[in-house]
This record gives sequence, C-alpha cells and structure tokens, in this order.
Amino acid sequence: MTKLYEPSLPKLMEAIATEAKGMRGMDRRNFLKGGIAAVAGLSSVQMIPKANASANLPPNLPEWQSYLGRGVVAKPYGEPSEFEDLQRRTVPWLTADAASSISMTPLQDLEGIITPSGVVFERYHGGIPNVNPDQHRLIIHGLVERPLVLTMDDLKRMPSVSEIRFIECPANGGMEWRGAQMEALQFTHGMLSCCEWTGVKLSTLLDEVGVKPEGKWILAEGADASGMSRSIPLEKALDDTIIAWGQNGEALRPEQGYPLRMLNPGWEGNTSVKWLRRLEIGDKPWHHREETSKYTDLMPDGRARRFTWVQETNSVITSPCPENPLTQPGFLEIRGFAWSGRGKIKAVDISFDGGVNWERAELKGLVLSKALTQFSFKTKWNGQPWLLQSRAIDETGYVQPTLKQLRDERGGWSIYHKNSIHTWNVTESGDVFNVQIS
Amino acid sequence: MFKSLNLGVAAVALAVSGAVSAGPLGIGSTATPEMIAGWDIDIRPDGTGLPAGEGSVAEGEGLYEAKCASCHGLFGEGAGRWPVLAGGEGTLDTAHPEKTVGSYWPYASTLWDYIHRAMPYPAPQSLTDDEVYSISAYVLYLNDIVDDDFVANKETFAQVKMPNEPNFYIDDRPDVKNERCFKNCADPKSFKIVTTINGVTPTGHFKEDSGVAANHYQGNPSDANGDAAAPQKVAMSDAATAGKAVYDKACQACHNMGVAGAPKVGDVAGWTDRIKQGMATLNDHAINGYQGANGVMPAKGGNMSLSDDEVKNAVAYMVESSQ
Repeated sequence: MTKLYEPSLPKLMEAIATEAKGMRGMDRRNFLKGGIAAVAGLSSVQMIPKANASANLPPNLPEWQSYLGRGVVAKPYGEPSEFEDLQRRTVPWLTADAASSISMTPLQDLEGIITPSGVVFERYHGGIPNVNPDQHRLIIHGLVERPLVLTMDDLKRMPSVSEIRFIECPANGGMEWRGAQMEALQFTHGMLSCCEWTGVKLSTLLDEVGVKPEGKWILAEGADASGMSRSIPLEKALDDTIIAWGQNGEALRPEQGYPLRMLNPGWEGNTSVKWLRRLEIGDKPWHHREETSKYTDLMPDGRARRFTWVQETNSVITSPCPENPLTQPGFLEIRGFAWSGRGKIKAVDISFDGGVNWERAELKGLVLSKALTQFSFKTKWNGQPWLLQSRAIDETGYVQPTLKQLRDERGGWSIYHKNSIHTWNVTESGDVFNVQIS
Repeated sequence: MFKSLNLGVAAVALAVSGAVSAGPLGIGSTATPEMIAGWDIDIRPDGTGLPAGEGSVAEGEGLYEAKCASCHGLFGEGAGRWPVLAGGEGTLDTAHPEKTVGSYWPYASTLWDYIHRAMPYPAPQSLTDDEVYSISAYVLYLNDIVDDDFVANKETFAQVKMPNEPNFYIDDRPDVKNERCFKNCADPKSFKIVTTINGVTPTGHFKEDSGVAANHYQGNPSDANGDAAAPQKVAMSDAATAGKAVYDKACQACHNMGVAGAPKVGDVAGWTDRIKQGMATLNDHAINGYQGANGVMPAKGGNMSLSDDEVKNAVAYMVESSQ
C-alpha cells in the first residue's frame, strides 16, 4: 500500500481537529470518533489513514475502494454501519430504577414507518424476563368451554396474520403537560414505535376455547417480575387484537415480549401485555394496579377517567427538530410522522406561524390504519424564524387539538394522552427549540 | 393439499395424546385444574380469588418495615422516586396531586393483588398469603382506612371500601373538538411563548456545547441495567465475582441509586467508614438487617430466598467495587 504521508501522532490529531472545525453536530462527532479510532488503531495494524477527509472525495480514489472489503457471513447477524449512531435513550431522573423505567425511540433518525427492532422504545415494570420458549405456555381459562394450555408450536400452527401497527406509551409527551421541558424530539415523542407484527388473532384463540355467553372481559397477564396484568373488553379482543410472536420479520425481541405478547392496535401500549402467559375470561374488569393507580387520567376536579385506551390522533415534525437543525438555506422538505389509534390518517397540515395559518402537506408511502404515516411539505428556508407545527386529521374526522384545548379540558397534570399540536421554534441560525404557545 | 395434510396431523395428535382441544382447529391441550390453580393469582374487587389465611395490622408493621420501608418509607412517604403509599388526601384537585393508596386507589383488592404478584420489588411472589394479608392491612392502616386492630382475611378484606372509588368514570373522549381552519385561526398578539428549562434534557448526544455531558444519559442497554454506575475492578475475589449476579438481582434497586440511605456502589467516600467496620459486621447487617442513622437495610434486602452466602458474595462485590 502506498503511504501518502506518515505524520507524527500529535500532528495527526491536530489535522483531525482542524478538519472537524466547521462541521456541525453529528457530522463533527462522527468525524472525530472515526479519526480518533483510526489513530488508536495505528499501532496495531500499522495502517496510516489519510488524515484529510477530502482525500476520499472526488477526484481522489476513496480509501475504502483501494482494498477488499469484508466477505459474506463475517457477521451472520448484521448491524448498522459504525458511522451510524442509532440509539434508544432515556431520561435518568424520570424513574427510580432501570428495571422499571422507559427509554425512547430515536424518531429523529428514522427512515420510513418501520422502527428497527433494536431501537423500539422500552417500558418495563420489572425488567426483561429471560423466557425459554420451549418452557413457555399460554393458558386460556375462566368462562370458557375448553380451557387450553398452548405451546409456542401450537400457536404457530394456527392461521396467522401480519399487520403494521404502532405502539405508543400513553405517557408519550407526558413530561410536557405542565410546560415545555425536553429539548429533544426523542424525549418529547419517542415513546412510540411502529413494527410489522405477526401472530394469531385473539378471536381465533377465543373460538378455540369457546367463550361462554357471560364472558365479557379478558385478563391478560405477563410472565415478567411485575406479573403485568390488564383487563381487555371482549369487543376489542374480537376486533383486532393479535397474540404476536413475530416482529419485523423475526421472533419478538426480548424487550418486546419474547416469545409471545398481546398487541392491541391503537391502544395505550401498556395494554399490549408482553411475555404473555395467561388469558382469563371473566364477566367484569379486574381493576388491577396498572388500570387504577396508573394509566388513569386525573382531571382538574379531582376525578379520574379510567379505561382511557385509545391513543388519539397525533403528529410531529421529525425534520427539522432540535436534533436535526437546519444547516443551510434553500430547498427544504419538512418531514414528519402522523398516527391515530382510531384508524388511518386522512391529512396533515403545516403551520409556519404558530397555528395562525395552515397549509396542506402530502402523505407519502404507505397509509395504514393505526400505523405511523409519513408526511412531507416542500418549501424553502432562507433564514426566517418559524413557529413550525403539524396538525393531523384521521379518517374519523378528528382534528389533532391545540395544547390550550387539551389543558382547558384536562388541566395540567393528566400525565397521559397528551396528543396536542407540537411547536418547534426554528431560529434564524437554523437551530430548533421546543416551545409551547399558550 | 396442504390443508388436508394439517388435518391429518391433527387427527394423529388427537389419537396419540387424547387431550387435545375439541375446538375448531383442534390445537392445544386441556389446561388442567392443577395447572390453572398455580397460575390463577388474580384478585377482583368483589374479593374473588382471595385465598384462605389472615394477617393483622400488628403483624404487618414488622413485615412492612423489613420488606417495604426501604423504598416506600417507614410511614409510606416514599424514598427518592419510589412510590408514596400513604397520605395525599384532599390533593387530587390541586396543582400537586399526590396519588396514594388512600387518596387514589379505588379498590382494596388491587392492593392485595399487586403486593402478591409484584412485591417486594426485587423478590416478586415470595410472600406467603398470610404475609400479604398482614402487609395489605398495614398499608390500609397507614392510610387511616382500617383501625389498628384490623385483621385481614377473605371475608374482612372484601368488605373494605376505598374512599376514592366513586371518583372514577369511564373514558369520555373525544373530549375536545378542534376545527380544521386554514386562515387567521389564532391571534398572534395573544401568543405567549414558553421555552424549556435549561439543563433538564440529556442533549449531550447531539449538542456539543449543551452543558450536559454525553454520559449524563443512559444511552445503551448496559448503562440501562445500571452497569455503568457499578464499575467493576479488574481483579475481584471469587466471592465478589459471584456476588455480581446477586447484586444485579437483589441489591441494585437501592444500592445503584442510593435509595433509603443505601450506600451507592462505586461511591468510595460513602463506603470508607462502612468498610472500616469489617466484613463480619457488614455481612451481619446485610443478612439480619440494620437500622442506621441515614436509613434502613432490610434483612437480605427483603429477599429472604437468598442464602447467607449469596448475601455475603453480594456484599463482597459491593465493597470491592467501592474501594
């Protein structure tokens, strides 16, 4: 290999630092990371990297084109490029312990409506159990003609379905009820993911056990340390609930309930009980901890709503956002996601002035019921400040509300179900800040 | 062709086991009463599911202090960000509502069900039915819902009425109606722009000069498990190495965050004086429990299924990680 030049280590570091100047945010971080890793690798492999990144740019031959790359099955299970930084993140002060906490999906980095399994947001109440699928069973009993115990093999023999559906924690945005707080899209909206889920419809299972006429409710129970339990009405079970073992083309990830979970499309994520071990059919709801003490919505008069299952229509602009500032004037495609727990997204509108005037955005890609839906608005940015908003409308005609409308009705400490129009303040510099308009 | 093959397989299975479902697909086996009895742990508001046995407020006091108080506080006041269990009456319609068992929970059955299925946090389903009755009775007592002579059993417990029960109602959303207006939909003169509070967001991953260090957030699974806060020394004793798993399972809930005065693993200053007492004393406190000036160490961290040796290994791990 021809060595272009062989500078001393300090000089190399200096060259990297000089090159990094003028780069912004992620570019700069990635460049520094790559450069420093290359320096660290010098002594072992004795390969001299080109310190100047432009050495890989036209008309020069890129360094990676000058030798053979990795062959097949070098990584039997592949992973993202080392230059990517796709990560779940959490807010450490939010909860007492990591085994009963939440992490958020990096919506700001997603391409398309499918959330990669490795960055689907996490919510545990007693950590991730390490379930052996051969020793896992689903028992269905209670008000049924034929109580059954099912193995994973039994379940996979049943007629299956695959559906692309979002899952959202009802506390998504909950840190923002009292005021703007989080300066990042990942933390304002990241308790949200969308995957393809494969499994058997719960209605198929209920046919198999034969629900007695007095059976109206189903208790779903997990095999985790919290023994997560929620009451699901029979109507939902017969409508679109899935008992899923597949996620994005492979087995569920342990974080999402391996080997078996419930999926209640469009409903608050907590009802989609993971590591599902038991379904009991009863005549009334159970009123367990996660549907009384938690996941109920306290109203200003001190009373509380219960069984607030539906995740109402919501949307957010993912580019620009605090993590994706504007770096240059000119053409700009404003991008984002919209979703509704009641069905398909019908339309999304964009406002540049905090909701005084609105323009129609386009929907793009797949528009599926209870799934993330992409929207797009092509415009130009020439350094003018914006109060940028998106407003989604679903197929039922529901229009995403303003924060003021929600607060007027529900007060400021509801914690759950904050689906109001979100505002990004785009400044003259292109930086983007989370603000609320009251 | 494929369909008929499946039916054939089902028929063979039926002939062999004799216990398959008689449902439309003929898949699955009969869940026997014995199987169901082991897993059917739920309790309902009318008391359905409550087992035999009983426990008193007096018995509950000692159990609560040993197994619950380290996170929930001696009087249910909560430690750190662990749930507050008592108090909060009259706060639900204020700007700082405190949702406790007494002020908020609509049904006492939920308390029994939840303590039995999920508590103590590091050792779920380790309590006997009598212990669950006792601790449930004591938590109700802390909330002035039962008297100090209350004895909980299947009959008495099902009769407990919670004060906040009438204040729950079924979801009545959609509760707000926005219009799809396009022109002059709001008055910009009335806008008040509220910005975020500095320093609460972990932004180190995308803002170079945010003032919040990149390691302020827990950005990967090992961090999320608390490993980053429990740095391991390279050369640990065999006991300490074995103790890591025990620590992860039973101790980190408090010793990772410093709950209830627990010395944090890796906090050298916090451990120095404790280590000076000698391993025998530390082991004794960990195994038998200890009431210190700053907090309480429940016996075996409230997880009585641990052997003495397992606790000693965990202590060795914590000590060797904190020197």
